[in-house]
Amino acid sequence: MKRIFTKFSVLAFLCFLFNYSAFAQQIIIKGKVTDGGDKTTIPAVSIQVKGAATGTQTDANGNYSISAPATATLVFTYIGYTTQEVPVNNRTTINVPMTSSSQELEQVVVVGYGTQRKIDVTGSVATIKGEEISKQASVNPVSALQGKVAGVSITNNGAPGAAPLITIRGTGTVYGNTGVLYVVDGVWYDDINFLNPSDIFNMSILKDASSLAIYGIRAANGVVLVTTNRGKKGDAIVSYNGTFGLQSVTNPVKMADATQYATIINEIYASKNEDPLFKDPTAFGKGTDWYGQILRNAQVNNHQLSISGGGEKNIYNLSLGYLDQDGVVKSNNYKRYTARLTSEFQVLKPLKVGYNVSATASNSKDIDNVIFRQMYTSGPVVPVYYADRTYGDPNDFGLGSGAGANPQATIDFFNRRSKNYKFTGNLYAELEILKSLTFRTSFGGDFSQAEVRSYSPVYKATNAQRNETSLLGIDRTEDRNWIVENTLTYKNTFGDHNLTVLAGQTAQRNKQYFINSKALNVPFSSEGDLYLALGNAAGRSLTDGGNLQTAASYFGRVNYSYKDRYLLNASMRADGASQFYANGNPWGYFPSIGAGWVISNEPFMQDQQIFSNLKIRGSWGKVGNAGVPVNPTTLTISQKGGYVAYFNGVAYTGKSIDQITPAFINWERSSGTDIGLEAGFLANRLSIEADYYNKETQQAIFGIPVSADMGLGEAKEIGNQANFRNRGFEFTANWRDKTEGGFTYSISGNFGYNQNKVTSVVTGENPIYSGGEGLANGSLATRTVLGRPIGEFFGYKVDGIFQNAGEVSASAQKDAIAGDFRYVDQNGDGIIDGKDRITLGNANPKFNYALNTSFAYKNFDLSLDIQGVAGISIYNANLGVRYGNENFTEDFFKNRWHGEGTSNTYPSANIGTTKNSAPNSFFVEKGDYIRLRNVQIGYTLPGTLLSKWKMQKVRVFANAQNPVNLFGYRGFSPEIGKPTVGNYSPLGAGIDANVYPLYATYNLGLNVTF
Amino acid sequence: MKIYNHIALRKACAIVITGTILLSTSCTKSFLDVDPQAKQPAVTFWKTQDDAQAGVYAIYGNLRSWANVAFPSLAVESIASDEADKGSSTNDASYLNDFENFTVTSTDGQVLGFWEGQYQNINLCNQVLDNIPGIEMDPNLKSRLLAEAKFVRAYSYFRLVRAFGGVRLHLTIPKTPAQFNMPRSSREEVYAAIEKDLDEAAAVLPVSYPAADRGRATQGAALALHAKVAMYQKKWAQVLSLTNTVMTQGYSLLPDYESVFRLNHENSSESIFEIQCEYNPGTKDASNSQYAQVQGVRSQAGYWGFNTPSLDLANAFETGDPRREGTILFVGTSTPQGDLITSAPGDPVRYNHKPYVPFATAYDNDNPRGGQQNVRVIRYSDVLLMNAEAANELNNSGQAIASLEQVRLRARQGNPAILPKVTTTDQTALRAAIYHERRVELAMESDRYFDVIRQGRAAAVFGPKGWKANKNEVWPIPNTQIELSVGVLTQNPGY
Repeated sequence: MKRIFTKFSVLAFLCFLFNYSAFAQQIIIKGKVTDGGDKTTIPAVSIQVKGAATGTQTDANGNYSISAPATATLVFTYIGYTTQEVPVNNRTTINVPMTSSSQELEQVVVVGYGTQRKIDVTGSVATIKGEEISKQASVNPVSALQGKVAGVSITNNGAPGAAPLITIRGTGTVYGNTGVLYVVDGVWYDDINFLNPSDIFNMSILKDASSLAIYGIRAANGVVLVTTNRGKKGDAIVSYNGTFGLQSVTNPVKMADATQYATIINEIYASKNEDPLFKDPTAFGKGTDWYGQILRNAQVNNHQLSISGGGEKNIYNLSLGYLDQDGVVKSNNYKRYTARLTSEFQVLKPLKVGYNVSATASNSKDIDNVIFRQMYTSGPVVPVYYADRTYGDPNDFGLGSGAGANPQATIDFFNRRSKNYKFTGNLYAELEILKSLTFRTSFGGDFSQAEVRSYSPVYKATNAQRNETSLLGIDRTEDRNWIVENTLTYKNTFGDHNLTVLAGQTAQRNKQYFINSKALNVPFSSEGDLYLALGNAAGRSLTDGGNLQTAASYFGRVNYSYKDRYLLNASMRADGASQFYANGNPWGYFPSIGAGWVISNEPFMQDQQIFSNLKIRGSWGKVGNAGVPVNPTTLTISQKGGYVAYFNGVAYTGKSIDQITPAFINWERSSGTDIGLEAGFLANRLSIEADYYNKETQQAIFGIPVSADMGLGEAKEIGNQANFRNRGFEFTANWRDKTEGGFTYSISGNFGYNQNKVTSVVTGENPIYSGGEGLANGSLATRTVLGRPIGEFFGYKVDGIFQNAGEVSASAQKDAIAGDFRYVDQNGDGIIDGKDRITLGNANPKFNYALNTSFAYKNFDLSLDIQGVAGISIYNANLGVRYGNENFTEDFFKNRWHGEGTSNTYPSANIGTTKNSAPNSFFVEKGDYIRLRNVQIGYTLPGTLLSKWKMQKVRVFANAQNPVNLFGYRGFSPEIGKPTVGNYSPLGAGIDANVYPLYATYNLGLNVTF
Repeated sequence: MKIYNHIALRKACAIVITGTILLSTSCTKSFLDVDPQAKQPAVTFWKTQDDAQAGVYAIYGNLRSWANVAFPSLAVESIASDEADKGSSTNDASYLNDFENFTVTSTDGQVLGFWEGQYQNINLCNQVLDNIPGIEMDPNLKSRLLAEAKFVRAYSYFRLVRAFGGVRLHLTIPKTPAQFNMPRSSREEVYAAIEKDLDEAAAVLPVSYPAADRGRATQGAALALHAKVAMYQKKWAQVLSLTNTVMTQGYSLLPDYESVFRLNHENSSESIFEIQCEYNPGTKDASNSQYAQVQGVRSQAGYWGFNTPSLDLANAFETGDPRREGTILFVGTSTPQGDLITSAPGDPVRYNHKPYVPFATAYDNDNPRGGQQNVRVIRYSDVLLMNAEAANELNNSGQAIASLEQVRLRARQGNPAILPKVTTTDQTALRAAIYHERRVELAMESDRYFDVIRQGRAAAVFGPKGWKANKNEVWPIPNTQIELSVGVLTQNPGY
């Protein structure tokens, strides 16, 4: 075996060196490629000599030149047009009018482990072209998807370098890995931050269970397949894409100014019969606007340079990217350097080998996420600096701990750098064993390292913000993953029968290791001092941990179609996962089946004029989720710092058992049905696609509370606990047309409706309370219970404000005071307690919708995208979390109760008391929003000018993202992603505990192609 | 090159493919068998003497936990009493006001935290008690380790029974469905189990340890705790005999009351049992005692200022009693170590002196400040006062006065002008004097609340704060636990 390999690789190497093809009589053929309809020229049409590896592309004016044998046949291909084959017949000039492929069905769709003609697809797969992603000038490829695909909900986080939350067809998983799987050129990732959006050629979003089933083990939350740019045969094309932008906070929340603040704080003191804290509120004037002080307009630059091309036997694409993004919070900066190289070599006629590699480095100057809370709470009476340039100290104003920080000092003394390095990609080979049988093997790897270096210097900024012993922390996490894939694809046509059979095998291993270290008393005169070795020998600490998972899988798929009318697809995947090995049966099986009927291809439809395309399809599939720790059934020892005993000052390591493990744990699986309709009208100028789906997550894994008297470290036991259902409807309509005058435009709308419901749960009628992140007093704001959506907001219903003591004594809340919330006594027992809580709203959007348009006339292009969500609630936790003298919003100040008759909706300044801040309807707000997601206007320089400059394309554009946001929500942003502080769980989704502020980005951009 | 045989290449590749697939298939079994990372499987534990030691270390370490020494314990055992206020700024942790005002309901988080925290101790003890007997090891060490576990289990159940009345009694690791969902045992059954543990512990535990083991439970600790448990059941003869024994074991009061609580007097001759805490720089998880942090002077960075002495307590001391300053840090005064106590408007004006760690003591922002302060659980003066009270109840006023005087004598610190010797032999008056002495001597040490209830005076003493008889003698059983039990757990009356 070894000898064969050696021989093989020597041969392969030799083939790179020698050009062994014989050439027939070569001639130079020139010509122009135009649109058969409007006669405009088409740039970047691929032209290839049939049966040979020679190829080129049309330039910006549609012109091409190619050397080919006089007897050859040229193949013209371009997305959206029917491929044409033109025999040369000794001609040296061949002008080709292309006919637009009215048959959208001719399009090829990337699906799991292969491609399919769109006509053959029986599931729900959405495709986004790379140019649509790069056009948005978005720095993260996933956020560019927002509004593009029905049923895909993207919640941006906003922080530079942070990944957005993406949910496909509703929340299906609440524990472990709740994210989608990204497959980039065959390698699996949890997020694709390492990719420059401009490197993406195509994204396929697999939505229904039948399309997903081929990714069995990791498919439960959806799969996004990413294909990156590759070279095309022909001269090297050098292109540069750059944007220069400014990010500016939109919809800022206005906080109370210093006079208002002093007034309202005095009201708190007065209500407790205490002397006012501020003698003369008006003396403070406007005071400090902490948001204004800490936030800024921030620049963002993104540059990408790529060189692509190909020779007789190889193609390549090299792309370099550089992103420099400032955060809208001062001192926050994120830099990302990306390099991606893809090459493919036709080693021998039947054998291709290639590789895709990415190297990414990012360097982030982080901020302390408490800053978001501090900007909200800090007292505007405190100046940023005193006259002597020392920090304004809240302690000097007697503000206490709730508003005890000077946010500027927080920014100034926070020193944390995060560096991420990633080297990833794959090597592959494709062998055409027979004309119809191809074997492909790929070995992919992902090596990444994340380093977080934090340093807390010795300083004294304010009474509360100081540090007397410096601390250096260096944390490093490494990921070493590999994945091997082998597939065998048989593709053939027998008369009217089309058959594709796929069989494959994969194995993967994901290993993570982290090591965290700390040292005290590290000096700091420069960054060069920041080594643990310079700190105290005593108290230096080191801890580490890791994770290891393996999986082995086998899969197969059959696609069959008859006369392009009747379609049948079936697949099966078997996954073995180490997580379940200790169970005795690590294997799970994930089948799928799909069928379609292309009615428009029936003979009886040939005479009708209404439908240019009509297809109905239905599918069913099963997918799995293995996002649990390895061997959850294996009981392990707890050995933690809290178990260290001290005798006579000496530390002794304690160990014990403080957990229980489930006797058995099964796959979390999800089965889904999808019924779809695709139709095209008016020569496919109008196309629609509608889908109904029903997705059932079964045996969802998460921890449920167990009796505290078991004495566990955490009173939870994980296991298969519940079934959820997501049921919904998606609709997409596209209109695209060209007028005689050369005006091209497209308008596309999509709409998704999803309803989430718990269909069974082991706790039976007992609800699971959750959603405490960001709330005060240990309150839990959500409830998950049988028959209702996951993580609904739950609390008291407010029906007004107590105006006076008389109203209090006549009510069920005897311990309330005037100005407090009056809660509805739902069960009428005369006591307000937990039993009076009701459902208050759902954090998962019911409706997602978007309208995407693009217009082009002559050299100008314009696009305008609108996106929104509806039927969603947000829990505005910021208002109620108070420990002392936190600031209030101006809205609250103006509307608050401050004496009988002043308000019956907003409570008094005592909103932070336990009773008032208990989850209630006041804090639950509508989170609906509609926004101008992206607007862009571009101008492409005329071709005459460009040919003079020997350039193919120069386009300048201006773009604005999120410039207009309409919402009624009283917080900063209606997009509530992961909390800035604390952990995210889908059971606590939609709780706004100081999210990253919403901002608009205005870019100027340049695309140049040589 | 042209004559290269493609067929041969295809054959070769087919072999490679088949080989790869076969290879991966044959490896599958071991390939998927992955060891838990950075975690020791439980089946490898409880095998050696070191494992036995480690299991007991975990018991002692866990006594520092948040639930054992911070909010949950202070809420349940201190803030409700007349000696303490919630403290901190008005709205900070305002849920603790429910203890101040007796508006605690069964959904309260601190009650749950306390419940959970005690059962965490109990589980760690049961792990040791169930597993160590099977280990081959030094038999003397084995029986001592078991006795130490019994002591902590008794201590935890005592805290539970005081706070809740009868509770679920797990004396082994729960294994069967019935044990997973047991009904509450009666208060008497819980007390009986506690006393059994303490008897067994006292029979084995040494009177003292070599220096390296200082801090472990001693025989004196088991006897003193047993005396307290007996006192809560009014078993006066037992209290008297147990305390008499402890009084022969070499304990003595330090000359200066204030210094008893300082770092240099940890595990002193006055200490009967302390929770051992250290500042262990760089290891946050092992320097985790927040006992001092949550109560420390708020104007100092890192201190929170909860559980502050009430005005009522400040007024309860006899004129000139040095214990007033030893118990309360008054804003505007300086400590003997030279720290000036300051305060922002709205912040407390009095702080608990007992967890006070001099400001200059080492700390860093990564660890809870004051994490080195041991928690004094039982002091010798408590034993003396129990002895006095039992003697008085048994009509032995002579011994009662003598034991009481030992406490007052030290408090006097040589100043004959203050704290005159109590001389009354009237049982009621002497009882009142002893009650008063307990209040001032053990102030802010989480003794007062249940002590007053035990004395049957709670309605009179705490009534003005909202305490109601037939309800507030115990706290509510956490509602989540009742829900999880599907009704097997019953709620206390009035909640």
